[in-house]
Amino acid sequence: MVEFKNISFSYSKESGIYDIDLKIKDSEFCFLVGPTGSGKSSLLKMIYFDIIPLKGEIDVLGFNSKKTKKNKIHKLRKKIGVIFQDYKLLKQRTVYENIALPLHINGAGRKMIRDNVEEALELTDLLDCKYKYPDQLSGGEQQRVCIARAIVKNPNLILADEPTGNLDPAAAHKILKILEQINKEGTSIIMATHNYKLISDRDYRIIELKDGSLVSS
Amino acid sequence: MIDQFAFLISEGFKSFYRNKLASFLCVITIFINFSILGSLFVVGYNTSSLVDFFRSKYTFEIFLVNEVKQDDYLNFIDQLSKNKIIANTELIDKEKSAAIFKEEFGEDVVEMLGYNPLPLSIKVFISEESFEFDKVDQLIELINTYNFVDEIEYRGRYIDDIEDRINLAIFLFLVFVIAIIFLSYQIISNTINLSMTNRKDFIDILKYNGASGMFIKVPFYIESILCSVFGSIFSFLFVKYFFISFNSYFGVNVKLDDYLWLWIIGFSIFIGLYSSNQSMRRNLNE
Repeated sequence: MVEFKNISFSYSKESGIYDIDLKIKDSEFCFLVGPTGSGKSSLLKMIYFDIIPLKGEIDVLGFNSKKTKKNKIHKLRKKIGVIFQDYKLLKQRTVYENIALPLHINGAGRKMIRDNVEEALELTDLLDCKYKYPDQLSGGEQQRVCIARAIVKNPNLILADEPTGNLDPAAAHKILKILEQINKEGTSIIMATHNYKLISDRDYRIIELKDGSLVSS
Repeated sequence: MIDQFAFLISEGFKSFYRNKLASFLCVITIFINFSILGSLFVVGYNTSSLVDFFRSKYTFEIFLVNEVKQDDYLNFIDQLSKNKIIANTELIDKEKSAAIFKEEFGEDVVEMLGYNPLPLSIKVFISEESFEFDKVDQLIELINTYNFVDEIEYRGRYIDDIEDRINLAIFLFLVFVIAIIFLSYQIISNTINLSMTNRKDFIDILKYNGASGMFIKVPFYIESILCSVFGSIFSFLFVKYFFISFNSYFGVNVKLDDYLWLWIIGFSIFIGLYSSNQSMRRNLNE
């Protein structure tokens, strides 16, 4: 599903990602951990080809970072759902419209949009909020909207970049539960976090980064 | 596919409405630029009529010697009338000359001198369609060879000078038009730049969710078309009613091209699409 082959990338002399070899299988749930600045977000960005490594290559869902042309990257991104720490929701649109956006991009018809959005709202427990605007929701609810938007197109892989970073423990727990449920249905999930407490009692693979290098996987 | 297209169209309209201030400024900018451009177009369109006007005024006058015989000059007039570049001729006999003199100087030359010294003359009007300076010059040279021709009053080269100046004005006008087009391009491009910067989050979300470059661009294209259409409709109405008022106030007849609306709206959409496309390519790093 995802394979990093000796990749390196640097923003400056002091920060970057160095010589990473890593393989993530289908339907796997894994945590990407490490302190702030260790390279978690950069690694996730490399998976959806927002950053292209300077050395080495990555294979993601059949797309290779060296061979995929810039104007074909969107085809890979259609298969990936991304969840951001800062939610990245459109404030002028309702919850329903925010969640429906990836389906419009994929060219889905009205009925499919309605059914998939309802399903995603139900799974994330947001049915009561569908006509609200993001500013009318709590942080936890906004993050659930972000999850619903990521899962609505039934992606093969979900990348979650610190999805619980701005949430209280109860809301964080709820987010993790939803992600686990999605994973049980066969979607691979890679979640970056520095909240060790949240993941410590779970039996999932942990990939640890420090100063841009792999510590353990 | 139809749903996706409908979504993109509605996104374009929504984005035009949501960015009221930027859209308003863009419409105003297009209105100002295309009002100037449309007015220049009308002036340019009428310049050819101005040349025709001067050419229609192009005549020359042949003064004959006093001893000329009637048969000679009547034959001569007949020959001139057959020439293709001559529209018509007018014989000004001695009495008519005296009347013109009186009208211009207020004196009766016959009363003053006791006889009429004014010569017989023929006024020649050149045809507008077959007007060519070389042909006229050749004709004047030929007329000069007749022994009963005393003098030819010939102002053709003044009109030639005027035409040269009109051509210079047309050249300057073209330079000005290019400058206005460039200015329009820059302003529309910057407006779209501003619009894209304002909606960077929206563009990022589209990108991360797998939107292709075209999917991201279409709403901006529609926004730019809407700005162009509104701006150019207002500028067309402005140009039209400005020249209608101008005509009625000054009692002139500045003509408007029947397809002026098509030129203004079509050209504005073209400039809008081209400049927004360039701006988007820069913003999306294509």
